[in-house]
Amino acid sequence: MAAHNHRYTILMMGNPNVGKSALFNRLTGANAVVSNYPGTTVDVTRGFLRKERLEYEIIDVPGAYSLEARDAAEEVAVRILGGHPDAVVMVVLDATRVERGLYLALEVMEHGNPLFVALNMIDAAREREVSVDVATLQEILGVPVVPTSAVRGEGMLDLVEAVHRAQPPDIAAIEARAFGEVKCPAGERPLSIAGTAGGVPE
Amino acid sequence: MQKRLSELEFSESGTVRDIFASRHELNCLGVRVRKHLTMITRQPIKGPVVVAVDDMEVAMGLETARCVIVEVDRP
Repeated sequence: MAAHNHRYTILMMGNPNVGKSALFNRLTGANAVVSNYPGTTVDVTRGFLRKERLEYEIIDVPGAYSLEARDAAEEVAVRILGGHPDAVVMVVLDATRVERGLYLALEVMEHGNPLFVALNMIDAAREREVSVDVATLQEILGVPVVPTSAVRGEGMLDLVEAVHRAQPPDIAAIEARAFGEVKCPAGERPLSIAGTAGGVPE
Repeated sequence: MQKRLSELEFSESGTVRDIFASRHELNCLGVRVRKHLTMITRQPIKGPVVVAVDDMEVAMGLETARCVIVEVDRP
């Protein structure tokens, strides 16, 4: 077997039922149980992806709504994040409900791990005519945002490439950009993380 | 007109004005001040209360629902 020069550890984190396990299976060729209801993953699943001379250990973290754990799955998620301070975090968002996933995403960002976002279920978003301004979201968060569809295999290579561009988020800068200090093309309104649909995270 | 969330009738909608329970517990589920929601079901005795927020169903205990103040949509 060929020796690998470097191993990256990637934690896949997100709300329940956003397609983390389906993405995990796509990336690793594994066969983790996938279902269309939340809470399927309550334990840790690990898999490996090898590309060129690099090896990526991918950890499918149980879905959580918050890092203030309220059940066994969230306790596992908190423990894994705390136990991997050097891991790259892939925050998985449901592209049809981006705002909902940002609460956990921002909590994860406060941990300071290098991070990027997989905007999963982008195919479902298109079908529902939900349009996500990926460029503006990326600019506000200051980390790579990659549209993906685990079902169709869309964006998988872009995800692997994004590992190398992952950034430790700057929460203060995100807050400043979210409240209007983001450059948008002329005539377009800045996207607000606080939610143009209403709702102020506290 | 304002009501407690626990008092909304089936299919009645409104906008969250205040939360006197653990905000964090509800915020992370998508129930936040200024969010629009619709009552799905309110089970008898001790709940749960189920509401739709952003096309997602969120269930909470009756005690928690009593702590959420909603501005009811005008018919």
